[in-house]
Amino acid sequence: MIVQDAKGSRHATTTSRPDFQIIAKTLDQAKHEELAMELTINDTSYEVQSDGETPLLWVIRDELGLTGTKFGCGLAQCGACSVLVDGVVTRSCVTPLASVVGGRITTIEAIEEDEIGKRVVEAWVDHQVPQCGYCQSGQVMAATSLLKENANPNDDEIAAAMTNLCRCGTYNAISAAIRDLAGETKEG
Amino acid sequence: MKKALAILLVVLVIAAAIVAWFVTRLPSSPFDGQPRAEISNDLVARGEYVARLADCVACHSTPDSAPFAGGLEMATPLGSIFTTNITPDPQTGIGNYTLADFDRAVRQGVTPDGARLYPAMPYPSYVKLSDEDVRALYAFFMKGVEPVRMANRANTIEWPLNTRWPLAFWNVAFVESGRYEPESDKDDLWNRGAYLVQAAGHCGSCHTPRGPVMQEKALDETNGNYLSGALLDGWYAPSLRNDHNTGLGRWSEDEVVQFLKKGRNAHGVVFGSMTDAFNNSTQFMNDDDLAAIAHYLKSLPGDRERDGTPWQYDAASNEKLALSNRTDNPGARIFMAKCGACHAADGRGKTPWIPPLAGTTSSLAPQNASSVNVTLNGSGRVVTDGVPDSYRMPPFREQLSDKEIAAVLTFVRTSWGNTGGPVTSQEVRDLRERTDPASSNPIVLQMR
Amino acid sequence: MLDTKNLERGDLASPTPTNISRRGFLLATAGVTAGALVLSVGLPAAPARAQQAGMAPGTRVPAFLEIRPDNTIRFLSPFNEGGQGIFTAMAQIVGEELDADPAAFLVENAPAGEDYKVMGAPFGRVTGGSMSVRSSFDVMRRLGALARQMLLQAAASRLEVPLGELATEPGQVVHAASGRKVSYGDLSETAMDLPVPDPDSVTLKKQEDFSWIGKPVARLDVRDKSTGRAVYAIDVKVDGMLHAAVQHAPRLGLTAGHIRNEDTVRGMTGVHSVHTLDGAVAVVAERWWNAKRAVEALQVEWSDPGAQGTDKRYMPADFSTAAFRERLANEPGEGKVAEEEGDAASVLQKAENVVEATYFSQFLHHAQLEPPSTVARFNDDGTLDIWLPNQAPEQFQANIAKVAGIEAAKVNVHSPILGGFFGRHFLYPEANPYPQAIKLARDVGRPVKVIWSREEEFLRDPMRPMAAVRMRASLDEQGMPQALDIVSACEGPTEAVFGHNPDKVDPTAVEGLTGKAYAIPNRRISQIYVKNHTTIAYWRSVGNSMNDFLYEAFLDELADKGNIDPLELRMRLLKGNQRLSTLLQHVVDLSGGWKRGPFDAEDGTKRARGIAMASPFGSHTAAIAEVSIREGQVVVHDIWESIDPGSIVNPAIIGAQINSAAALGTSQALLEDTVYEKGEPQARNYDLYPILRPDQMPRVHVGIVESGEKMGGIGEPGLPAVPPAITNAVSHLTGKRVRSMPLSKLTFDA
Ligand code: FES
Ligand code: FES
Repeated sequence: MIVQDAKGSRHATTTSRPDFQIIAKTLDQAKHEELAMELTINDTSYEVQSDGETPLLWVIRDELGLTGTKFGCGLAQCGACSVLVDGVVTRSCVTPLASVVGGRITTIEAIEEDEIGKRVVEAWVDHQVPQCGYCQSGQVMAATSLLKENANPNDDEIAAAMTNLCRCGTYNAISAAIRDLAGETKEG
Repeated sequence: MKKALAILLVVLVIAAAIVAWFVTRLPSSPFDGQPRAEISNDLVARGEYVARLADCVACHSTPDSAPFAGGLEMATPLGSIFTTNITPDPQTGIGNYTLADFDRAVRQGVTPDGARLYPAMPYPSYVKLSDEDVRALYAFFMKGVEPVRMANRANTIEWPLNTRWPLAFWNVAFVESGRYEPESDKDDLWNRGAYLVQAAGHCGSCHTPRGPVMQEKALDETNGNYLSGALLDGWYAPSLRNDHNTGLGRWSEDEVVQFLKKGRNAHGVVFGSMTDAFNNSTQFMNDDDLAAIAHYLKSLPGDRERDGTPWQYDAASNEKLALSNRTDNPGARIFMAKCGACHAADGRGKTPWIPPLAGTTSSLAPQNASSVNVTLNGSGRVVTDGVPDSYRMPPFREQLSDKEIAAVLTFVRTSWGNTGGPVTSQEVRDLRERTDPASSNPIVLQMR
Repeated sequence: MLDTKNLERGDLASPTPTNISRRGFLLATAGVTAGALVLSVGLPAAPARAQQAGMAPGTRVPAFLEIRPDNTIRFLSPFNEGGQGIFTAMAQIVGEELDADPAAFLVENAPAGEDYKVMGAPFGRVTGGSMSVRSSFDVMRRLGALARQMLLQAAASRLEVPLGELATEPGQVVHAASGRKVSYGDLSETAMDLPVPDPDSVTLKKQEDFSWIGKPVARLDVRDKSTGRAVYAIDVKVDGMLHAAVQHAPRLGLTAGHIRNEDTVRGMTGVHSVHTLDGAVAVVAERWWNAKRAVEALQVEWSDPGAQGTDKRYMPADFSTAAFRERLANEPGEGKVAEEEGDAASVLQKAENVVEATYFSQFLHHAQLEPPSTVARFNDDGTLDIWLPNQAPEQFQANIAKVAGIEAAKVNVHSPILGGFFGRHFLYPEANPYPQAIKLARDVGRPVKVIWSREEEFLRDPMRPMAAVRMRASLDEQGMPQALDIVSACEGPTEAVFGHNPDKVDPTAVEGLTGKAYAIPNRRISQIYVKNHTTIAYWRSVGNSMNDFLYEAFLDELADKGNIDPLELRMRLLKGNQRLSTLLQHVVDLSGGWKRGPFDAEDGTKRARGIAMASPFGSHTAAIAEVSIREGQVVVHDIWESIDPGSIVNPAIIGAQINSAAALGTSQALLEDTVYEKGEPQARNYDLYPILRPDQMPRVHVGIVESGEKMGGIGEPGLPAVPPAITNAVSHLTGKRVRSMPLSKLTFDA
């Protein structure tokens, strides 16, 4: 197959992997060829080597070494891998790299640089939300995205937006923390 | 009077005898009387390719059995049929078949002992196979496939419905007798495509609507029903005609080729039963044949009346997904919780890896079986060039109730310009009961 | 030797070893960047210091504590943190006697070593059984006190004053007479070189003098876990490391034969090599994603040697949980007696009013959110560094040594914090990736990290046992239970892991059926051992996770048969048991008074409440659940739960743990069930194995009763009373007796 590397040059390998060149033609390929390997994460530009099909999650974790974003299921089921793309929560395990080229990606490592994200973290600390903590990067991302969309969500909106799984059962603490941020009265 | 009765009796006896002869007779084959010929490796290789075109393996193998040893259960409302061992084992397989016997089975659905095959075996299509392809196929099954001793499993259809001789009449009524004849006013590419689609590819088995006795309503392009979309086994196989909404109207020939070769393109990804056809058959077709198929399919006119107003993306639906709006719209809410992460919040998917829901045939076709089925059960792994897909569709049957699936699919099928229309809980329940979730294991059926 | 480049690129904290911030520290925990340096040279400091021979575990102060010049206190905890708050509790306990603010502590899990076997026989050291605090409370306090004593001694010589004139304030030694103060950080260097005093020479604080124990001290790890800085095993990175993904045999006991497309796969992007392992194949690649795609592509011919008659488990091709459940239900025999009192058999024989029912518990996955992983690195000096999620470092060290064929002393076990465990990370045959990582690292001559995808994890996750339990009871004229006969057909997790003894009952198979405080005069509780084809494991609250459901649900069935309110029945059966009566009343009060229902709630739903109790892991709990039915499925609105753990260390953590246990208990009651067909689990991810979602989480109201009795556990005890409280409410609301879980498999019309 033909793979494309960071510099946009191509080299052939002997594998029988799917050749997406054909497909890519039907997409906005010109754009991809120029930008495919340029990613903006936490306001830093990265040149990445992975091909466009690779889930963003693994580019972030393995290639860029940002391991705050977690792998839980790889199937859009748990939300542990949530990042923000242009401020909107996105499950990176089901986000092909090529689909986010040109987007502004924020990972948990930079969450405190975001004004709302910082408040979310403080609320998480106040409410002592995390237990094992493994889902919490994703939870913080989801909460930040929620508050960006709606600064004063009601309970139902919180429930509709917060769908990430937590095996440790921190759900009540999570909603309490968000309710707090929404300026609503805390519930015991 | 007595005499009249006697004559009638004689007539009846003669008629019965004719029927008996007719339904058990061995139809003739052009290969009758031909001596067994040497089989060359080339011919075996050609036969293997024909077997790929005809997707023999999809039915005559299971993930657990040796290639072509049969045993796949095909559930019918009347009971189960099990596919047969077609390895060259003389006792349990087809090792004793002559080329003529093989021909009769493949093209006419008749076994050497005169028994009729259920048309689950797509002989109404295979009848169009050329003599050369049949000869090659025979070569492959005799020399390219390992003999496996595995007795066929008895079908579970009960008497009298298991009586198969009436199929002889069904065949007379619905199976055209001839080989594929090239249309002289069409070019070679078109004719090759027509041959592949109608004969080995047997695309009509799934994509052509069936009549009251399960016959395909059309067997070639001369009838507008041909490949116009059909419901089968809980899936809706969409139109392969130039229908803008429910067919290939918006696809280029290149995109048809991509779909059949890679399992995906900008419009969609194979799913449901097409996954098997792709995994085992279409991706193995050579580029010329795929181009021919695409060319032929794109020559089939659409039917505006059946298809409706051409779809256009309607961004207004995205409003319904906004947080404050979706709290009292269960469909929108479930969409964002379960579907949006992959298919994108605007329904456009992440093509070509994750298909759009906006404007896809399954969201536009009034028949909603595929929407319901794939949501309940997910889809099997798409294995392209030996490599399983990066992103699979998970089953939601354990997570969403009938009502919730109905709600989310109603949202999907009425948003972004989609005109498929609502889904009811009852429809979900019906399919839930008679389907199973797809395996997350990549299933690769071997032919050797 | 360590890969810091990526981290810098990732804009993480500066990985400078000398400037250990909290952030840097947690990285250190996993041995990432500077951390590994810290682990190998910074600590354990003990071996470099004068060694005192024959010291009891938990007394060698320098093996546990390093007080830095900036007065931060690095503490090596014998127990691992997996969300239960043990690092914070340890800081509270040690800090209390050391006289140091727990907030100054940086805690990580200690390496393997005799010093850390602080629990005493038989466990030595495991993180499990909710035993950490209660088993080590005094030892760890004494450790803090010994350290304080050493600091005082160092200060005495530094200030040249008699020790008796010195006192401490948090983090410093004070000489009141001269008004001089010296921080612990300044004294530490000298103090840690002193011999550790005789443990009996120090006196521990009185409870009323506690500053931190018993207080809702903030958790130490919350900020790092809210900002992605906490490092788990799956995040560990060492220089030159390759990644590996595996494809397990579809069934246990199968071995990999020919791989049809090995050459093609070897040529795939990023692939380093293809390997055949025990019951699996693996691909090693530069990146995990490449390894994962490639390993999924491998077309392996698995060969089935059949059951080999060894201890190794073998999964036959026709195994199904449905058939196994039937088998358990019909397993003949009366079983081995686990608990007996009076003469249940003859009372039952003569009784007029006998109630009989078979109850079931289902197989469950741990489904911890962090998939298993291991990093293995062979070093030039013949040692092996290994990072893996684990609940028992010494046990792992011993086994790893065996697997690697080297001495245990050469195996450095690093135990990063756990992304959930619930019993998942003990030594389970076939269920841990480290043998794979070891073999791969050796074969490729470079460090290797193996990660199991969720699908591969669910294929090998050992399960909470399934049980079929035959219950028989008789009631007297007043409707009170007179005799109770319980036969559980089940393989217990302990016998599954450590070997079955035909002459003994596995207590972890029957706990929760046995040990109930109810005064039923005639009882016989027994177990029939039925070996599983699946692997079996501990799961949060172990046997109690199923047995308290089975028992307490049947108890409600008896209450209904005897026409006694279930609360009333429990109260009567606990008559004279002050502690449990108080607890039961406490939860009733917490819920605003006993209101069984059915009643109409404000939102128009019809609701009912159920009640249940449990006494797991040295603590006691009572729970009330309020449920309704929506579209045929159960909704749990509220759970009130009171716990009496004797005495407490951190009420805030207890509150969080009860929430957590309530979530898991609700999850198993409503949703969870591992189903096998044709020898394979049908669910390979959360898609077909749903776990509790946020919108299914009940409100949880926690009550703590501190009776002052012997200290019990916290992490697990909250769970067992929850499922029966829910099912009892459902049975009452719907009139349909619930004898199995999950409730999602049943339909109700309320
Ligand atoms: S890892 Fe992406 S949703 Fe679970
Ligand atoms: S805190 Fe452990 S999974 Fe959420």
